[in-house]
Amino acid sequence: MTGPSAGASPPARGWSKIGRGLLSPFYLAAIAVILVFAWLAQGSPTSFFALSLVLASIYITLALAWDFSSGLTGYVNFGLPFFFGLGAFTAGYFSWYGNRDVPFLLLAAIGVGLFGGVLFSVPTLRLRGPYFSLLSLLLPLIAVDFVVTFWTQLKMPTLGYYDLPFLGNSPGAELVILSVANAVLLTVFILVKDSHFGLVLRGIRDDEDAVSSQGIRTWPYKVIAFTVASGVAGFSGATYGMVVTYAGLDGFGFTFLIFPILIVVVGGMGEITGSVLAGYVVILLYQYMFQAFTEITLVVFTAATIVLVLFLPRGILGPLRSFIRFMRTPEGP
Amino acid sequence: MSLLEVRGVSRSFGGNRAVDAVSFEMSVDTLAIVGPNGAGKTTLLNLLAGQLHPNQGSIWFRGQEVSRWPPWKIARGGMVKTYQIVRPFRSLTVEENLGLFARLRGSVNLDEILLETGLAEVRHHPAGALPFGFLKRLELAKGLATRPDLLLLDEPIGGLSRSEAAALLGTLANLKAKGVRMIIVEHRLSEILPIVDRVITLDRGRTIFHGSRDDFYRDSAVRTAYLGSSDAAG
Repeated sequence: MTGPSAGASPPARGWSKIGRGLLSPFYLAAIAVILVFAWLAQGSPTSFFALSLVLASIYITLALAWDFSSGLTGYVNFGLPFFFGLGAFTAGYFSWYGNRDVPFLLLAAIGVGLFGGVLFSVPTLRLRGPYFSLLSLLLPLIAVDFVVTFWTQLKMPTLGYYDLPFLGNSPGAELVILSVANAVLLTVFILVKDSHFGLVLRGIRDDEDAVSSQGIRTWPYKVIAFTVASGVAGFSGATYGMVVTYAGLDGFGFTFLIFPILIVVVGGMGEITGSVLAGYVVILLYQYMFQAFTEITLVVFTAATIVLVLFLPRGILGPLRSFIRFMRTPEGP
Repeated sequence: MSLLEVRGVSRSFGGNRAVDAVSFEMSVDTLAIVGPNGAGKTTLLNLLAGQLHPNQGSIWFRGQEVSRWPPWKIARGGMVKTYQIVRPFRSLTVEENLGLFARLRGSVNLDEILLETGLAEVRHHPAGALPFGFLKRLELAKGLATRPDLLLLDEPIGGLSRSEAAALLGTLANLKAKGVRMIIVEHRLSEILPIVDRVITLDRGRTIFHGSRDDFYRDSAVRTAYLGSSDAAG
């Protein structure tokens, strides 16, 4: 039966582009930028510049997680700061009770993030579009409210967990750790984006019903993507906790939602590499603007975002990406 | 055993009975479902593909009842629907559109499918940049990439020019010759009938004709009602 699809012909591999992304100029540029900034900061490892790069790197990790899940699938997830805060709290909790081994704290934060991610994703990803987004906003708020209400009963220190171990000996050393983590994450996410798994995620973004109607159950793919993102957010939160040596409720704050989304928008949704390049631009710009014009920085940033979304909906690198794709695409039909 | 068996299937929307006690069996032939607008053709196709569930009756595919199965499970079982209004994955290339489904039911030869459907030359193009005629072909190719046992085609030549339609019908005829089984819902009867073996005619959800293509041609009531003139079926 089955005509052209039948027979003993080998599986076509032409569509499979695994590894192709690692040769793209954007990936290579992103890796180069990570390395250059990590190297530059070693000249003055305790400077404001180095500290700003550490902050940028933490936001980049979070932005990569957001872009991998929401950017690729089109499901806008407002819940990622919860897992960021959860990661910071996990590191705080274990260090408070005596385990100050940094690798252990990072792994514990990833584990709790993954576990929380499963609990969050399994029910919420049965919903779609704004319903999912609304629930992703509400569930973490309810969880935080629960913690605040039962703060004393949960035997938490009044001001949150403090005196966490440092991630590194200096901001310069912390930057190296974060840079390596971001380079690894970027590479893995690019490989996954080019794989069949990534293809399904991108298909879901374009038309989930069409993916489903031709034999792919989309829900497990979404659950895996959002669980992985939650684990990465947990890792990111733990690094933040160990950079500021404190894990309090501010770790759940909307700053950790707004900046990653802003970075992804500037870098181009679903592009992965854009989050790295845009992360440095956005955070360094914000840090230095905040020093110079404290009061109006957020206003300027908000206005810039609106302008960007209006005129460059595919991010600042969008036109360049389009040009490269145009040059690579053969003559039209 | 029949490949597909539809037993007294009905589906209502509020007070409107869109499909009313439709029954038929299908084994190795190519079937056309025809009828005027609102006859229930697309609803019936959606019922077969699992996008709707019947209020009454049952659908059996390869000996299993699939009436309540979700679309992904039915498609994975081998019954795959293509859309009347094309639904390409616009950010993916043509090749990636097919690659998405290429491993679901064993290995497939994508090169062959691309050649068969006339898409080989645009395989690296983003689907969003293709003209409509190519998107209709892509819709068919996506269905073939799943290596279906039965392809449900919803108006495959709808919206195409005569020459584009003729080319696509040539492809369907080739597929039929290679053993691909199809159910085709189509308005353009005179063009589609030459490649089908049997015809079901629906009117307001009910089956008013079910028989061979030759009988369909001879049925004066059907010809008068749906073809408009005695020679329209060509």
